Amino acid sequence: MITKSRINRAQITGLLLPGLLIFGMFTVYPIIRLFWMSLCDMSFSSMLIQPFAGIMNYREVFHDSTFWTVFVNSIVYTLVTVPGQMALGLFIAILLNGIRRFSVTFRVINYLPVVTSWVIASLVFRYIFNTEGMLNYFLWKMLGITSGNIRWLDTRWSGLSVAMILGIWKGIGWNMVIFLAALQQVPQDLYEAAEIDGCGAWKKFVNVTLPAIRGTILFALIELTIGGFNVFTSIKMITGGKPAHQTDTLLTWMYYKAFSTGKFGYAAALSFVMALSLGLLAIVQFRMMRNRDA
Amino acid sequence: MKSKNAAKIRAAVIRYLLLALGTVIFTLPMIYMISTSLRPNGALYEYPPRFFPRWEALTLENYDYILHQSKFYLNFLNSAIVSVSTIVAAALVGSAMAFVLGKFKSKGTRLLFAFIIITMIIPGTTMIVPQFELATRLGMVNQLWGLIPFYVAWVIPFSTFMIKGFMENIPGEIMEAAWIDGADVWTVYSKIAMPLASPAIASVSIFNFLTAWEEYPWANTVINDNSKRTLPIAIAGFFGQHQFTQWGYVFAMSVLTLIPVVLIFILCQKFFVQGLTAGSVKG
Repeated sequence: MITKSRINRAQITGLLLPGLLIFGMFTVYPIIRLFWMSLCDMSFSSMLIQPFAGIMNYREVFHDSTFWTVFVNSIVYTLVTVPGQMALGLFIAILLNGIRRFSVTFRVINYLPVVTSWVIASLVFRYIFNTEGMLNYFLWKMLGITSGNIRWLDTRWSGLSVAMILGIWKGIGWNMVIFLAALQQVPQDLYEAAEIDGCGAWKKFVNVTLPAIRGTILFALIELTIGGFNVFTSIKMITGGKPAHQTDTLLTWMYYKAFSTGKFGYAAALSFVMALSLGLLAIVQFRMMRNRDA
Repeated sequence: MKSKNAAKIRAAVIRYLLLALGTVIFTLPMIYMISTSLRPNGALYEYPPRFFPRWEALTLENYDYILHQSKFYLNFLNSAIVSVSTIVAAALVGSAMAFVLGKFKSKGTRLLFAFIIITMIIPGTTMIVPQFELATRLGMVNQLWGLIPFYVAWVIPFSTFMIKGFMENIPGEIMEAAWIDGADVWTVYSKIAMPLASPAIASVSIFNFLTAWEEYPWANTVINDNSKRTLPIAIAGFFGQHQFTQWGYVFAMSVLTLIPVVLIFILCQKFFVQGLTAGSVKG
């Protein structure tokens, strides 16, 4: 191995170092620090004095009824938006996979919501769902389905629904692109074999397509679950957690506790529980999909 | 044979109809945003609301107002500075890490890579409290440049992951030849690996640009001064400023903010798809 001797260890380290320093300082250190903060009685005003408090913050989080409200909100948001995006994204990908003309045009247009920033998309949805807005006018005066203006943004589930509709609308394009790429890699002869066996479109989808793209489904499931719990900007812009934190999610509530009430310890404990649970959830999801493989 | 053809045509028609319907749903909110930005501010609360403004009422007055505020140019410039700095820094450190992790496989580098990837499971916003404390200690609060290291650290895992896959595919013989010629690690990285991985770096950079260009929670937390605001917090601030939201101004500013994004997206479409699918298909 002449090559090995030429390889300069110092230069390898030199290449790694800048990235590792930035990553270590601004990502890894905060993760560790987060855990420590969650064990301290910390507030915004007393950043320098941080008496150790054990599990006090965790106890406070779990005994807080608002925490359970926002916890349920985050779970519902994720349970609705993740399957919603995946199913619609896959459906559009299947449609696109079967056409020749305009495929790229459709793909570009369907991807536009993904590149629209969260702040802007949220404001547009807020405007549409305004009490005196376009949607209410359309439903009431034009279609006659409703009998008055609905205050979409002012109740818990309707407010959350607006955020969920936005989440699905904005996420379909991403799912479409990755599922389309996966579909294009499914061997064509599998479909031909299934056709010879007399399988219809639905049977082909269940028996050929789904097993073949399982890796991509797993990838999307893990990514989107993290994304679902990461929902923040849309809630802040659309309902702002109103009324009385009924539409807050885990992160907007954590943010409120930290930066509006100054309870850094509480916020850190909540964040740490979230990070840990998502890590475990990702492992479970990974295991589940792997086991079905065998 | 004939009936089979007819069935095929019918299937194609249904596909196109469904896709067209999808396109309407995808674009309707954006069209509404643009149409709202083109009507006079006073007509925004007109009742009945109109999807399209009256033809004779079309106006550019909202754009005129936004473009005559020096604040907007400042916000735009701030966003551009932060985004460009982020993508340049991320491309440099990310490709260097990807080169080492992809081409010098050992127990140590494998472990390091696994660790970097695992951190991607944690939603970024959960770290906002310790990051805020860190930024305060380092004097980075309310500093435009202070955003950059956080954004770079944020995009490093994805960038490294993407570029590493590309680095691994560089044939070993090319590097072997360079070693025999007496090239050192630095030369191989800068003269061979980085140029060969440039498609992956380009693709990663587009994503990093979008991330930095639209980032809201962190910038909103650490930036206070009007003059240091990036576009997303400027738009959000505009929205909350008055009791009655000036939707025309908000959406005119939004459209102006989206123009560079949509342009980049349409021009770099190919890189986009490459970047998106690199991680997913391998599974």
